[in-house]
Amino acid sequence: MAKKQRGKTGTLMVKQKSKKTAENLHLGVASSEEDDDEAPEEVTFEDSKAVALRSMREAIDTARREKELLKEKRRKRQELFQEQKKRKLLPDDILDEIGSSVPKKPKASKVQVENAGDEEEVSSSGAEESEESHTDEGIEKGKKKKKRRKRRSLMANCSVTRLKEQSLASKQQQSALEFIQSRLYGPGSNRTTVHELLSLQDKRAPNKCAATQFVDKQWGAEKKEKAEKFKKRWKNKQGVELS
Amino acid sequence: MGEFKVHRVRFFDYMPTGIRCMAFNSKTERLALARQDGTVEIFNFSDNYFQEKVIPGNDTRSIETVCWVGERLFTAGLNGEITEYDLVNLRPKYSMDAFGGPIWTLACNAQGTRIAVGCEDGSVKVFEVLEEKINFEKNLDRQKGRVVSLSWHSSGTQIAAGMLDMIRIFDVQSGRAVQRMLVDRGTTATHRRECVVWSVVFLSDRTVVSGDSAGKVQVWDGSMGILVKTHLVSKWDILCLSVSQDETSLVAGTSEGTVVQFQFISATLGEGDKEWVRTRTFKHHTHDVRAVLELQRSIVSGGLDTQLVVRPLLDKVDVKSYDTALRKIHFPHRSLVSCAEQAGLLLFQFPAHLELWRLGESDSHGCPGDRLPVKRKPEKLLQLKRKGEEHISCSALSRCGGWLAYSSVSSVRLFRLDCHSNHLSIVKISRLPKVLSSAHQLCFSADSSKLFAASSHATVHVISLSQSECKYVHTFKPVSGCTESVHLLAPSADGAWLATANRACEIHVYNLHKLKPHCTVPVYGSCPSAMAIHPTTNNLLMVHADHQIFEFSIAERRYTDWSRKLQREGLHPLWIGRDTPITQVNFNPHKPTHFLLQDMYMFCVIDQSLPLPDRTTQFYNQLTLRSLSEEERQSRTHAFKICKKFQPLLSMHTLEDGALVMVERPLLDITTQLPAPVRQKKFAT
Repeated sequence: MAKKQRGKTGTLMVKQKSKKTAENLHLGVASSEEDDDEAPEEVTFEDSKAVALRSMREAIDTARREKELLKEKRRKRQELFQEQKKRKLLPDDILDEIGSSVPKKPKASKVQVENAGDEEEVSSSGAEESEESHTDEGIEKGKKKKKRRKRRSLMANCSVTRLKEQSLASKQQQSALEFIQSRLYGPGSNRTTVHELLSLQDKRAPNKCAATQFVDKQWGAEKKEKAEKFKKRWKNKQGVELS
Repeated sequence: MGEFKVHRVRFFDYMPTGIRCMAFNSKTERLALARQDGTVEIFNFSDNYFQEKVIPGNDTRSIETVCWVGERLFTAGLNGEITEYDLVNLRPKYSMDAFGGPIWTLACNAQGTRIAVGCEDGSVKVFEVLEEKINFEKNLDRQKGRVVSLSWHSSGTQIAAGMLDMIRIFDVQSGRAVQRMLVDRGTTATHRRECVVWSVVFLSDRTVVSGDSAGKVQVWDGSMGILVKTHLVSKWDILCLSVSQDETSLVAGTSEGTVVQFQFISATLGEGDKEWVRTRTFKHHTHDVRAVLELQRSIVSGGLDTQLVVRPLLDKVDVKSYDTALRKIHFPHRSLVSCAEQAGLLLFQFPAHLELWRLGESDSHGCPGDRLPVKRKPEKLLQLKRKGEEHISCSALSRCGGWLAYSSVSSVRLFRLDCHSNHLSIVKISRLPKVLSSAHQLCFSADSSKLFAASSHATVHVISLSQSECKYVHTFKPVSGCTESVHLLAPSADGAWLATANRACEIHVYNLHKLKPHCTVPVYGSCPSAMAIHPTTNNLLMVHADHQIFEFSIAERRYTDWSRKLQREGLHPLWIGRDTPITQVNFNPHKPTHFLLQDMYMFCVIDQSLPLPDRTTQFYNQLTLRSLSEEERQSRTHAFKICKKFQPLLSMHTLEDGALVMVERPLLDITTQLPAPVRQKKFAT
């Protein structure tokens, strides 16, 4: 009993010295041990009851406050997300187009429901909340990615298709052509280039002359044109830098 | 000889396509040749290898095999259709789907009654040849894998079929395969790939000879189904085989570009059994030989390097002559270039488009042999793409450069060109007369007021042109009733005459004022290759495929004295022995006695006022003449002045100011655009 009382006085002392922090509580315990020699104080049952009630109420208060804080945090986060989403959203007309062309996926609507229901389901634990919000974010990102993908596919939707339906005959013809091509020019056919052939001929000829690409003006006309263009551009650039 | 300012044109990027297959008709001496773009060409071997007919190709039609049945020509290709051609009107007569997928091969039996085709799906289909059509008769037993080659036995009862990794012999009556001969895949390097039997020949003693992708020519006993002999010929594919009519000689074309000859002779002289022995190798090609023919006295080969090579086998003959010379045919024997002489424009004809160029200009002068600086560079004014899938068969540009026309097998298109200094406008004439459905040859009159179109059945339509409309005027029909198509048109400069030459060698002259036939030039046995009417004297000058030259006075309806003299004295043997036919006749506007002829390797100025060379005189005497004194030169000179400075020539034209336009196409430019050749190791390179 005395021990109990002593404990009670300890807590009381703590309350008197410092009310809130656990550190102080610990200190308080230490201090109570300091004055072990002193005579136990008289504490009435009402007093102790009141103290206990107060402490309980305080505990509830802190819990509520914590929850409110969390709620606040989540709301802010939600607002931030929404703002971000708004910022990243495509122009309305494109969105409309997507909406009209692709039927809305059920997943997106589910996410919205979850977001709406967040405010009511506050009671779940913080860790879980944060995780949920994280998954939310993940879904959001996924949605954005999907949207982007959708958009890309919309832009590149113009895949090359024949207006005239490709008949079986033309397919067969194509495969036959591929067969002959692969037999004559495919891997293992051991082919070289015309250029090699000409240079070989030139090497074995009695009169050696310059390689064909120098003699023949038409050789690689495209490449030469490109080189000419590049040269011009380069000269221009140099000229600009010099001046 | 005269001095000319010459426009040396090298911007015509003429590119022939590779030769795919050939067939020879020994009765009519005609060679049918199919190119990879679907064009069919017919050469007359009895008329100096002249390219008589060209059937323009079509993008949808690919030709894998060509075959004569009597005088009818059939082709088949990867589009799965068998096509017969109308050789008079130069167009496909009908096409028939064989319903077996792409067709790889087509063969006719010796009797000419049945055609067999080998299809992608592994079936061999036999068709009956009827008048005007062919009828499906039966399918032989279907096999797995495509049928790449076929050959009939001379009796017509059996067919040998080359497939992947095997050869089968079918009995036509029952449709069953009676023999199955497996072909070795060859060395380890090629072991994983199937061996394709590209070509097979069934001889009358039931020997089967095959050429395959492992480079082997194999001789099989077809009655027993056993291999008799293997000749390893090449590291690459053997693509084609051909046997002579008496079955003593056989040639094989390879991917290396060689043609290998085998002969059926006894190994030791005199006695012993005869066997197939490899005898000679010819190499005239740089690329794959896709088609080869053994014609007893010569070997004809063609391949992806686009040239047709005729190699006579009379090489033991001491005297060099026209018949013993090796012949390479590079260019078509018709002109693909038209020239607007007044405006200085050139029109180049490609299978898929037309190009209009303006010639360059130079205002400086120099001494002969100089290269003049160009004031204005030649300029491409227009590239006109054709509509549809049919290749362009002919095109024409009017003398003033104001009209342009081209034709395909099924349509003619006419355009009005307006070419000011830097501005070109082109207007399509939409309403053409109905008669103008197709043309074999197009030509404008000298004053550009009329268009002449050579149409079917040797008729020539005359259409009058004006700014507002074009109107049908008249159709000329030959009095002889000949139906062969017209391939040359020559209007006179004064607009009074039109001369036409058709492929039956007839030359008709029509009066354009009276719209009546005027006369017919006596028929000469060789096909006319070029002709023109002299601008001042109105004499018709004709050059034939055998290089004979005739001059015919239209007004007097008889050969001129010069022509008679030429025939009496005869042409020089070197002139007769020239390789390529004359494809263009032009006149020198400043000297009426001069006319100019052009073939692939030279152009020639003929001066009618000078004496003709006789057999003993030096024919190519320009260099000798230059070293002689003035008096001696006078006595040694003769009418033929030949210039070989520009070659190979596609075309030659004279402009109104007397300048010459030489359209050259260096063979090297063609070679550089060819597909990949095989890699060969040469010693010490």
